[in-house]
Amino acid sequence: MRTSSPCLLLLSGAVLALSAAASTTTDTIPILKAPEAFHEQLVLKPLNDGSVYSHFQFTTHIGTMMDDDHFDGAASNLFKHYNLFPRSIGQILHSFEVEELHLTFTQGRWQYSDWGYPLAPSAGTGVELWAWLNNDKRQTDEHWKGLTNTLSGLFCASLNFIDDTITTEPKLSFRNEGLYNTHSVPPTLHNNNNSTIPRRLRYGSLPHENVCTENLTPWIKLLPCKSKAGIASLLKSHKLFDTRFYSMAVHVRSVCEDEKCRVRSLELVQTITAVFDVARHDGSFNWSLSGLFEREITQSCPLASTSKVIVNLPQTADIENQYSLVPHPPQGIHSEGSGDKKQEIAVYDLQKILPETTSPFHLALQWEGSRPKSVRAITPGIVAHRYFTGFGQERGGLAIEIRNNNSQDIEAVYLDTLPWYLKLYLHTFSIQLNGKSLDNQRDLVQKMFYQPAVDRSRPAVLEMALRLPANSLVKFTVSFDKVFLKYTEHRPDANRGFDVGYAVITAKLPREQGQIGYGGLDHLRIYQEREAGLVRGRRSDNREEEEKEGETDKMRVYTDTLLVSLPTPDFSMPYNVITMTCTVISLFFGSVFNLMMRNFEVVKPASKKSGKGKEKAEKTE
Amino acid sequence: MAKGLSSNNAVAVFGTAVALRLALFQFPALASLLGERVEISTPVTSFKRLSEGVFLFTNGVPPYDGGVVHQAPLLLGLFYPIISSPLLVNLLYILIDLAIGYMLLQITAIKDKDYAKEKKITQYGGKEEEPGMSGLSVATLYLFNPYTIASCIGRSTILYSNAAVAAAIWMGMKGNKSLAMFNVAVATYLSLYPSMLIIPVILMLTRKIDDNDLTKKVAIRCTGLFAGSLVALFALSFVLVNSWDFFGSVYGTILTVSDLTPNLGLCWYFFIEMFDQFRPFFLVVFQIHVFIFAVPVSIKLRKYPLFVSFLLCAIMGTFKGYPSVGDASLYLGLLPLSSEIFKYMRYSFLVTNLFMYSTLLAPIFWYLWVYVGSGNANFFYAIGLVYGIGEIILMIDSTFALLRRDFESQSPPETTGQDAALGWDREVVQK
Repeated sequence: MRTSSPCLLLLSGAVLALSAAASTTTDTIPILKAPEAFHEQLVLKPLNDGSVYSHFQFTTHIGTMMDDDHFDGAASNLFKHYNLFPRSIGQILHSFEVEELHLTFTQGRWQYSDWGYPLAPSAGTGVELWAWLNNDKRQTDEHWKGLTNTLSGLFCASLNFIDDTITTEPKLSFRNEGLYNTHSVPPTLHNNNNSTIPRRLRYGSLPHENVCTENLTPWIKLLPCKSKAGIASLLKSHKLFDTRFYSMAVHVRSVCEDEKCRVRSLELVQTITAVFDVARHDGSFNWSLSGLFEREITQSCPLASTSKVIVNLPQTADIENQYSLVPHPPQGIHSEGSGDKKQEIAVYDLQKILPETTSPFHLALQWEGSRPKSVRAITPGIVAHRYFTGFGQERGGLAIEIRNNNSQDIEAVYLDTLPWYLKLYLHTFSIQLNGKSLDNQRDLVQKMFYQPAVDRSRPAVLEMALRLPANSLVKFTVSFDKVFLKYTEHRPDANRGFDVGYAVITAKLPREQGQIGYGGLDHLRIYQEREAGLVRGRRSDNREEEEKEGETDKMRVYTDTLLVSLPTPDFSMPYNVITMTCTVISLFFGSVFNLMMRNFEVVKPASKKSGKGKEKAEKTE
Repeated sequence: MAKGLSSNNAVAVFGTAVALRLALFQFPALASLLGERVEISTPVTSFKRLSEGVFLFTNGVPPYDGGVVHQAPLLLGLFYPIISSPLLVNLLYILIDLAIGYMLLQITAIKDKDYAKEKKITQYGGKEEEPGMSGLSVATLYLFNPYTIASCIGRSTILYSNAAVAAAIWMGMKGNKSLAMFNVAVATYLSLYPSMLIIPVILMLTRKIDDNDLTKKVAIRCTGLFAGSLVALFALSFVLVNSWDFFGSVYGTILTVSDLTPNLGLCWYFFIEMFDQFRPFFLVVFQIHVFIFAVPVSIKLRKYPLFVSFLLCAIMGTFKGYPSVGDASLYLGLLPLSSEIFKYMRYSFLVTNLFMYSTLLAPIFWYLWVYVGSGNANFFYAIGLVYGIGEIILMIDSTFALLRRDFESQSPPETTGQDAALGWDREVVQK
């Protein structure tokens, strides 16, 4: 291999180098040291209904700049030395050639109409796992299986149940979130030509999975300071799981460190989102850090580059200063926007605050008198509702209502994965727009991908690219048959029913529509803006059109999970059924055998000497 | 040919049959209700699934790359142009149903000709046996059988398989080798099990040939014709859907009974409740059990190919993985073709009652299990057992009757000698 070409490496064990075309250029690459870095951040926001939203975000970067001589060893070098980056994750990424990994554990329902949109992109109940893998079809399935099983062990969750019957490959949803340079088409590891590494998506979710302490503990172990220091010391499972909504995630993606995307780094984002019901016990909406978490931050994590607590202040409509924030932020309150879009933010930099004092960091918000009801109402841009129709255990229907509250048309992608035991009849699919049935579906459903389910091997996938008209209510209905399962395929609690996972709507929404954290200080947001230039030029498979930068955000809206009750057999019957059915069948076999093998014969009077024969003869007379 | 149709009676029967069906089709709710009944529509004959298949096919989704469509590709091709018009679809169903009635009428006419040449059986009191039912009666019994009507209104696609079977028997009786074999191939193509009928149909085609070598030659030619037609149908299907996926989806589903939706058969609950490790064994046993009777029955009853085809159809309709009342309507339509055996049957009353009992109770027990929840799966399974027993007794009893009648014709009571005194009161046993 010619090694004089400028190259770089990245990620998940696959070496990404510039294409041959790029390698002939004589540019010198800026030798950027992209060392490991760790950022931590806690965003707190009182929600409209008085609950307190808390969002922990821990970001770890690992970046390497390799010069040409070390090209061959690049892949292994990246994952040989671990300082901040968790080794367990690095090894998983390396051995399964994972380019992007998104794993979210969620418990409870996110209430879009009360709370707006969450900072964390995934909010579907249960476990959601999706990954972009770097290899061809056969290997992809093997690696996906390995990945689910390994993560299952790592996080003590039933991720190994994400098998072929659940896994899908969405065509329009769950695009790459990493950033890629248009020109650096990554060559394959051993073949330095222009061919693209086939990147394949695998997606699976387990709506029935519960999240608890045993999942949180391994998650905390991935942090450099564990829960010993920094904001992670607030993570007390006792309190976290006593919330209205809890979500815990691990996201891994690759990002560019320079404008031409020659230096790249791997980003690991760990988030925990919890919505605390502060008023549940005493009816008071006042809260403090120690009250919420029953823990205190005594020292900041020494390994962290930044360590911040951000409070997104409640926006009261009429009177200002109805509440007090203790302590007052050292840099004052930062405000952005005006009128309805006004956002006020208080920032506490723990690395500055904590060394100056010996007492732990306190934070409390207190309302003067009672909390006003006139907190600004939230109208989320897109709200979706999905439910079952029909009755009985033979067949049913699925209805999906998507309301677009925007005053403009919204482009959205609807993804629905239904387990194979619901047999969809796509010819019964119908659309209603604002209560009237729609004949011309082309304007609304611009594209539709449908993969019918195969019994016991794969789910049904319905994916649609939609153009939702302004201020409209779109309703889809489709009917299905319920499948009769073998008695061994039922769960032990068969009459509870089966969980059917959520549908996901990925919508391009205009910015600043009540989304939490869109105050300009969210770490994710900052990151995106910094790389806005790269976003524009980024390369992604199957992307139909580039996003309009700066104006829209891709938001994922999750519907509730559903419970479907399937007809059950009598579980105590196997022996009875086997014996009775076999009796009936042998009745036929025996009789036919008799009829075929035996001939009629006249009973001769001579043979009637036995008493039985005589009786019969008498009878016939 | 139109002899049977020309009479006023025939016009009245067929006219009433059409009018009845047209009237019932006027209630689309009834059609969809019947079409969704498990007793009428099975996974391999449901019109709803066929519609889904046509819809997927129209929209470029491979219909057999999924678990919903299990019907043969050429059915999709047949319905592809007309599915958007319910009227045309309904008319097609009515037409095919009438065609089966007409073919039964024609088969009876041919059979009556054969029968006229036979030596008449002397019966009790020295009277000659009277000829069996007229063709029109046979057609009437088929066309006004509630099972036939329900199956037609429910738009079960078993009708097309049934029509092919009837046509094969008709052509076999007529002596038209290629058309007979083609129709057996079509029936096989549509629902696999009728492949057994190749034996009785060859028996029909060779029934007038005495020369053994010639019979063999005809049999070999017929088998060749059958195989050729089948291959042609598969090739045509491949051209239509451009994939061989349909083999697994159509015949794989029939053979492995992978869709366990309840029906009146014996398989569904058996395989729901079966222990996993024994499933393949019983699957093989059950499928062999369906096919195994073709040869012994055809050897023993080779003089009665019409009866053999009835018996094989009844065996299929009882023991196949997805039986429905449409299968019953076929064999109950073929049974009157051997109407001369009726007076030898012993359990007609019992069989009639078993059929009525299960027909009335099946929907009730289904409702109790699936909708109300006050019954469980055993209720419906029990009804399936009763229905199966009814079918089995019917088959056994009719075979017994045929053999008994055969015995009467072979060895009528002696009029002289030692046993003459017994005369008609003699006792007959099977040994």
